[in-house]
Amino acid sequence: MLAPDFRIPFEKYRLPNGLRVILSQDHSVPVVTLYLIYGVGARSEQKGRTGFAHLFEHMMFQGSQNAPKGAHFKIVESNGGAMNGSTHPDYTDYFEVLPSNKLALGLWLESDRMRGLSISEDNLANQKEAVKQERRLSFDNQPYATAIVDRWPELAFRNWHNSHSLIGSFEDLDAATLTDVAAFFKTYYAPNNAVLVLAGDLRIPDAKRLTETYFADIEPQPQPPLPDLSEPPQTAPRSQVCPDPLAKVPALVVAYPGPERRSPDYYALVVLDALLSGGESSRFHQNLVKGRKSVVQFEANLGWPFASPTDYKHPANYGIFLLYNPQFTGPQILGQVEEEIASLQQHPVAPAELERARTFLRSTRIRRLQTSAARAALLAQYELLDANPDYINTELSFLLGVTPGQIQAAAAAYFLPHRQTVLDIQPEAQ
Amino acid sequence: MTLSAQALDRTKPPHTPDLPAFRLPAVFESTLPNGLQILLVEDRRFPLVSARLGFQAGSKYDPEDLPGLSESVGVLLTEGTTSRAARQIAEEVATIGGALRADSSPDALIIEASALSEHLPTLLELISDVARHAAFPDDEVALRMQNREQELLAQRAQAAFLASEKFAQVVFGSHPYSRQDPTLASIHRLSRPALSDFRDCFLVPNNAVLVLLGALPPRAQLLDLIRARFLDWQPKAPPPPPPPRFPVPRPSLVLVNRPGSVQADIRTGKLAVTRADPDYFSLLLASTILGGGASSRLFMNIREEKGYAYDAHCSLQPLKDSGAFSVATQVRNEVLAAALHAVLAEMKDIARRNVSADELADAKNYLSGAFVMRLETQGALASQLAAVKLMGLPIDYLEKYTSRLRSVEPGKLRAAAGRYMTPKNAALVVVGDAPNIGPQLRTFGKISVEEAG
Repeated sequence: MLAPDFRIPFEKYRLPNGLRVILSQDHSVPVVTLYLIYGVGARSEQKGRTGFAHLFEHMMFQGSQNAPKGAHFKIVESNGGAMNGSTHPDYTDYFEVLPSNKLALGLWLESDRMRGLSISEDNLANQKEAVKQERRLSFDNQPYATAIVDRWPELAFRNWHNSHSLIGSFEDLDAATLTDVAAFFKTYYAPNNAVLVLAGDLRIPDAKRLTETYFADIEPQPQPPLPDLSEPPQTAPRSQVCPDPLAKVPALVVAYPGPERRSPDYYALVVLDALLSGGESSRFHQNLVKGRKSVVQFEANLGWPFASPTDYKHPANYGIFLLYNPQFTGPQILGQVEEEIASLQQHPVAPAELERARTFLRSTRIRRLQTSAARAALLAQYELLDANPDYINTELSFLLGVTPGQIQAAAAAYFLPHRQTVLDIQPEAQ
Repeated sequence: MTLSAQALDRTKPPHTPDLPAFRLPAVFESTLPNGLQILLVEDRRFPLVSARLGFQAGSKYDPEDLPGLSESVGVLLTEGTTSRAARQIAEEVATIGGALRADSSPDALIIEASALSEHLPTLLELISDVARHAAFPDDEVALRMQNREQELLAQRAQAAFLASEKFAQVVFGSHPYSRQDPTLASIHRLSRPALSDFRDCFLVPNNAVLVLLGALPPRAQLLDLIRARFLDWQPKAPPPPPPPRFPVPRPSLVLVNRPGSVQADIRTGKLAVTRADPDYFSLLLASTILGGGASSRLFMNIREEKGYAYDAHCSLQPLKDSGAFSVATQVRNEVLAAALHAVLAEMKDIARRNVSADELADAKNYLSGAFVMRLETQGALASQLAAVKLMGLPIDYLEKYTSRLRSVEPGKLRAAAGRYMTPKNAALVVVGDAPNIGPQLRTFGKISVEEAG
């Protein structure tokens, strides 16, 4: 059972300018993914400059020296590919999935914008508006979104890097100048602050030569310092009720600070999460959705709401989000969640149930590895956060080795009443 | 590729070689004596198997007073059988690293399942049990009614849902393709006898196709496993599908009143074709060029140039007995007439002038690329194979997909667009605040105003 039943091959090296490169070959489908991850995210932002990481993700599609505004999207699409970018707490990523004969095209596009962006007053102004419009549509106009993006970090964290709104304020965006933007690009979008992964239908010698051709002459920059993310220990529970005029159904968030990434407790909490929230046989589904009919939908994971176990970085929470039946109250739902937690603390998990959770973790992982885009993303995240992409092959065995005793101990150590944070999101009559 | 030998010109996109020849994995076909069609495909990349058991049992077979029945049968199949409670099914599925659910579309009801490959026998046992012995327990039916009612209320609060619903009614007329969702009344009428009757009529082996794809055991052993689970399933003639009679397209303009809307939701288009139609690939390309992505004509015109809307796109919905072409956009109330003029002009134009060679090449690349990407996961390929069978298409449909796309020429595309994409005789549905936007619609035809139900 512990024997690994897949192995994702990869080769890792570094260009002289510091760019980390990972190549992973698989010829079964003529598709290749280019995945570029930069070590800068919303938690890297400075006071007065919130929203910069996300604004930058937009600026990256505004054109570079040889690929003018609009070209990136059009070129990828008209060559049969798909692409996107996204901003995370600890990194920003960009990818292209292409028919495999188009690898050079993707490298040309990504290297062109790493070499230099077209940053002008015009497109900066334009993207400030685009980010605001995105905020209005995707956050301000969506139920639960404002509560989760703006209220939740403030309630759950005390260190400003963790607690500020990860999408940023309109005031800070408006205040951004061309100089700020150019400096941010130079510091963080340097080859030595990035990992490039090519995964899928490629030939290693060709991929190496092309990568060298397109990226080797991009200038490195001094390595930016990592922000101090440390949180003061939580000594008392925190809770808040938040009205939400867009919500039709109430929701409850319950969270506890999580362990260090890659510590034994980290693995224990990932398995514990599978017991609580992994699939239809999980305790939340069977006991709350089906049994008590009190919960309508739920999600939970280490790193919630903006990260997942694979890109979790301490300090962050194990968070549980539940949409609940309005015939129940927030405190009642909290009581039910606490009962589930108490049960994990008091009784070792039965062997059959643990076996199901292990199978859930193993099968979910194997399913996920089917696409070149997912393999590339995992390799990049493990390199950036662990300096060890081989976790793509070995991580599962750490999870499968977690014992009932470790789960019980982790439940007792992390789910402490005085470390609890609760946000009750209530529909507000309009 | 001899890039290193050339001086690198960074100012232009690099030339790239042609896509290497690619063949889909071989499909083995067989039929059991009871009529169950079987498709088997080897894929050993990962220790996984994916299965589809599809029936000609989609929403078009719903009784007239019970729209949404097929959908509810699908949802409830996995919520209890004569020998397993819902919880037991969920636990057994989890034990094999699996997934098991059923989904209903206008034509078909499909059980989708997968598991770690070592558990294939249990997976087949579970699929067989839910397909043949679903019990529709009272408490699960009651929970389903409660949840679906809430879901429907949330759907009906959205203008886009109302627009799609009305558009289907206008285009498909009295054919059941016009009723793809339940109503509050039909949800309240849901009952165990209705669910069981539907299952007994339609979930029979001679009305089904079983697709298995993945790291499979040797062929003889696999066929034995399949026979053990499905051979004693009794065939029975299913009721015939509804006659494929559709209204002849004629101009119609329906304004669905949604008081207080600050936006107007537009749907326009008409009856189109099935995947088997000779015009299908031409229309697919035409629809991609007109409104298939962020470089399409509608997107560039309505969003980028004129700024009327956040999105404007069109879609082709190919069904088994017919199909529909539609343009969708949601615009600010004050620019409704201007936006409509722009949309209609684009629809006229694609039928009047040949598309450019570049546009056509780009659209062909876009669609072929999307096609190969869908081959990366077992689930996507299994679903496509099931759809090919259920739609009655030839088994080489996927193999020939890319070459058929490549063979479309501008003249052929224009002719197909002329038949199915012009504003002439198109249905036009607008959802919005009727008193506020009605006056802007007067020049577009005779308006029939309806209340959002």
